[in-house]
Amino acid sequence: MATTALTPAASTYRSGLYAWLTTTDHKKIGIMYLINSFVFFFIGGLLVLAVRAELAQPGLQFVEDQFYNELFSMHATLMIFVFIIPILAGFANYVVPLQIGAPDMAFPRINALSFWMLPLGGGLLLLGFLTGGAAAAGWTSYPPLSEDRPLASVGSGQDLWIVGLVLIGTSSILGAINFLVTIFKMRAPGMTLFRMPILVWTVLVTSVLVLMATPVITSALIMLFIDRNYGGSFFDPRVGGDPVLYQNVFWFYSHPAVYVMILIAMGTVSEILPVFSRKPLFGYKAFVFATAGIGALGFSVWAHHMFTTGSVYLPFFSLMTFLIAVPTGVKMFNWIFTLWRGKLTLATPLLFALGFLSMFLIGGINGAFSAAVPVDFALHDTYWVVAHLHYVLFGGSVFGVMAGFYFYFPKMTGRMLNETVGKLQFVLMFIGFNLTFFPMHQLGLAGMPRRIADYSSAAGWNDLNLLATIGGFTIAVSMVPFLWNVFVSLRSGPIAGDDPWEGNTLEWATSSPPPPYNFDRLPEICSERPLFDLRHGRTHPAATMPDPGPAPQPTHSAG
Amino acid sequence: MASSSHALTPAEHSPVAGLAHDERGGISNPVLGMLLFITSEVMFFSGLFAAYFSVRASAPQWPPEEFSHTLQVLPLVGPATILLIASSFTCQFAVWAIRRDDRTAFLRNMAVTVALGVIFLVMQGLDYAQLGSEGLTLSSGTFGTTYYTLTGFHGAHVFGGVIMLSVVLYRGMAGQFSSRHHDAVEGASLYWHFVDVVWILLFSLLYLLPGK
Amino acid sequence: MSSTSMARPSRGSVTAVAIVVLLVVIGVAAVVLGFDLARAAQSFVDGLYPPRAVTAEGAQIRDLYTIVFLIAVAIFLIVEGLIIWTVIRYRRKPGDDTLPAQTHGNNLAETVWTVVPTLIVIFLFVVSWQTLNAVDTPAATPDTHIRAVAGQFQWQFDYLDNDGTTVLYTQNLATGEGGGMAVPAGRTVRLTLTSPDVIHAFYVPQFLFKRDVVPGRVNQFDFRVNEADAGQTFRGQCAELCGAGHRIMLFDVHAMTPTDFDAWLQERIQEQNATPPPRPSGEAGATVDISALNVAFEQAEVRVPAGAPFRIVFDNKDQGIPHNVAIHRDSPTGEELFQGEIFSGPDQREYEVPELDAGTYAFICTVHPNMTGTLLVE
Repeated sequence: MATTALTPAASTYRSGLYAWLTTTDHKKIGIMYLINSFVFFFIGGLLVLAVRAELAQPGLQFVEDQFYNELFSMHATLMIFVFIIPILAGFANYVVPLQIGAPDMAFPRINALSFWMLPLGGGLLLLGFLTGGAAAAGWTSYPPLSEDRPLASVGSGQDLWIVGLVLIGTSSILGAINFLVTIFKMRAPGMTLFRMPILVWTVLVTSVLVLMATPVITSALIMLFIDRNYGGSFFDPRVGGDPVLYQNVFWFYSHPAVYVMILIAMGTVSEILPVFSRKPLFGYKAFVFATAGIGALGFSVWAHHMFTTGSVYLPFFSLMTFLIAVPTGVKMFNWIFTLWRGKLTLATPLLFALGFLSMFLIGGINGAFSAAVPVDFALHDTYWVVAHLHYVLFGGSVFGVMAGFYFYFPKMTGRMLNETVGKLQFVLMFIGFNLTFFPMHQLGLAGMPRRIADYSSAAGWNDLNLLATIGGFTIAVSMVPFLWNVFVSLRSGPIAGDDPWEGNTLEWATSSPPPPYNFDRLPEICSERPLFDLRHGRTHPAATMPDPGPAPQPTHSAG
Repeated sequence: MASSSHALTPAEHSPVAGLAHDERGGISNPVLGMLLFITSEVMFFSGLFAAYFSVRASAPQWPPEEFSHTLQVLPLVGPATILLIASSFTCQFAVWAIRRDDRTAFLRNMAVTVALGVIFLVMQGLDYAQLGSEGLTLSSGTFGTTYYTLTGFHGAHVFGGVIMLSVVLYRGMAGQFSSRHHDAVEGASLYWHFVDVVWILLFSLLYLLPGK
Repeated sequence: MSSTSMARPSRGSVTAVAIVVLLVVIGVAAVVLGFDLARAAQSFVDGLYPPRAVTAEGAQIRDLYTIVFLIAVAIFLIVEGLIIWTVIRYRRKPGDDTLPAQTHGNNLAETVWTVVPTLIVIFLFVVSWQTLNAVDTPAATPDTHIRAVAGQFQWQFDYLDNDGTTVLYTQNLATGEGGGMAVPAGRTVRLTLTSPDVIHAFYVPQFLFKRDVVPGRVNQFDFRVNEADAGQTFRGQCAELCGAGHRIMLFDVHAMTPTDFDAWLQERIQEQNATPPPRPSGEAGATVDISALNVAFEQAEVRVPAGAPFRIVFDNKDQGIPHNVAIHRDSPTGEELFQGEIFSGPDQREYEVPELDAGTYAFICTVHPNMTGTLLVE
């Protein structure tokens, strides 16, 4: 059992709420990212429960058209920008310095700034609901619908949306800079790039994507703002602008963004599978190259969101979209062969990781249909796309987030989550998820367009919509055991110890939770599984840790 | 380090100092951070430039008839460009000066750089006023929108750079920099060169390249 | 050296929980839905396929779908099967703390599962590119030219002459009796798409096809409805979010035999060009002016005398946007008493409205129901 005898956590000179509000400790900041993200996850979830309630049956029962447009626009905006992207950044914030043996991130104060811009940005987004209507032109906000003219987007909701997103985008970019400098410059001795944990690699590639792509959407948002408020002519055809220009600039960011929304979840899954199969990740280097390949290729496919505009060179984007399936497949096979001939323990983190594999498989496959351009002519802007995006983002990323949450909760809090309740959550979530989103394949094929508040009974979509609504509420129900588990375990879960899972990487070589600067001593690093090596006596004898002895430096913080 | 005879420096009191740390050298964390930040700024301007090229390519005539002679290199924009380029030189002189511990030259060159930056902004402002009086505004179709957006955001970045350099100048006057510790100077100068390069590109595109 | 603090889930508890939950959910669903599960299962499977295509292009797209679908199902079964098999076969036996073989990778395997998927996707790309060329290449000489104008929130169909520009007849009603886009089956129709306001999309599920309607740009595509489908009506709908009325932008496509279509079009052209009936003499009546600008009526309230027919002189000032004046009893959602002809601006029409009893009425625009005003009859 790999325990480390460390000095107890140093007491800080700030306490309570003030400590949290002013912290620059990556671990506290990471936890705040998680909390903030889950809050917006619930808000975004409530918004879409209203959508599903409305769509359960034909006829407008609960909301009016304009408000319905606000509901789904804000659902998507919140989920993308204030839930999934930040929560993955939050996990990265917590785990990366620990995994590379660093005491904190490279720029701790900028780290705190990055976090605090998020609740502010999210608040601005939501403020629209109170000032005459939130943004209602979809999370994509295509002009001219998002321009300031009658029957389009008059009112401040759209402007608040723009400003909120610029703020959140800036938070992301600063975070990316922080991660890159930390990863390049602060790894422990012996940890070469190809000995870094896979999670750190996914954070690296994600940060490159964020750094290069996010500023482009900032420029699109600013151009839209100028059109709306200063009589600009970027996108308004009435004054010489081009609506398709917006789409090109927007999707140049928003396609790489989908990899930002999943790569770190894939990294988390890549940490969990080896631990729970008791074997190393199969094909570590292939995995690294596949991840980098996805990042690079991700910049070349953006116009596959625009196949029906009549303004796109179709064969190129179709080819690149098909090609990006190859590195994704490489990863899928590497994951499966990590499990193959292993000795699997079906604990909750592994269950969610397996759910990730299965659901992401479906999401990747149904995406390939849209890569075939003529098929996309039938499927674009229908519920097929809603099915695809949720299979990859919910079935993929959210299941990955849940896997990571159950895996890292003990490290963050020192307590174990309840396994049975975790499994109950998994089963409910899995069933609810598939019940909600699988019928959307049929709905899309049958011709149900996206973003409509109501449909005619004559279209024959009633049963599938009702099914999807039941599934949606089942997902909501699955949040009950989740929250119960979190709050009860925080108070009275079993003590976790340093390394409850027999982990492979450095974060498990310190206490749970870790002390302020993470490590007193570090084991020698000779592979991508330093703790595994230590546990099985595969490090250089001189560097083994069990007996720390007197400190050679007179600099230990004594508390 | 353990048996030093001097009073322990703050670094040595730190619990972090006890950890073996990366001695690989190379560029410092703040400088790497600034380079990455500049990369993100390059991408931001790329979005704006892409919009400009797209708008320009699909316009029937560029510049439009009414503005065919509005953008003039003299008397303001051309000289302002020369001053901005000169300020990059003085900025680099400042960096070289502090690298060899010549604080006087560093402060002098940095002050000149800040002054040149301010003068550039003033000249840009005067130019905007002139253009406005000739009828070119943000709402003057695609030509006006792209002109003011591109030069306006560049100007905002110059303004940010002037602030950054002023802080560096202030800290320099307070004696906070030496040949061994001047990351902020390196970082700020890299940013300033970036701002200058963007202007050279912009100036060439907007003023020097013929339209159709 | 094995840990003792690793969580040991009991298989029994997992299974029990899962089964109970599953049964509850299915039970609730069945009760709530109250429908025939067998029929549902059948339509579930059928629904994984697009509808039968009614155009030549749509049929080719459906064939492409078949190819992609078969490959997709095969890949899913193989890979998901692998996952499930692995999870069942390689469960750790309780008490077994030994390590399995610590395989780090296999370069041959990596090569195989890089090369084979690459070949598969290249095949898919080639096949879809071929279909794209077949579907999207414009015909040399289309037989019929129609222009669909998408506005907020109504479709309008202009039947064009062979030069593709002269408007022979404008169909203002997109659905319902006498409405919809009539097309000749068995002939190539070239559809051009324009919009005066925001982005829309022309989508007919049974064509397996859609194309965006982008303001400032003219998109077009050709299609040919199967001869065998003459006499059928297909539903269409706007498929690009265009505002609060997005979901009401429906349209019908009526396929006719070529002879029926020609006759129909001739009738419509003659009706449109017919001289308007002479204004009935002696019924000068009151005249009230209503005008529309920027998708709003410029008058909030108008008055007419009760008990006599009256005339509305309606001035549509909005370039390219269709409006009309319709009168409803009491409020905009009340019973419709009169609907004037829908036409695009800038243009004027005079509506002859039969007499109304004294009271308060609402006038709205049928195309843009948010445009409302009050009509006081006294």
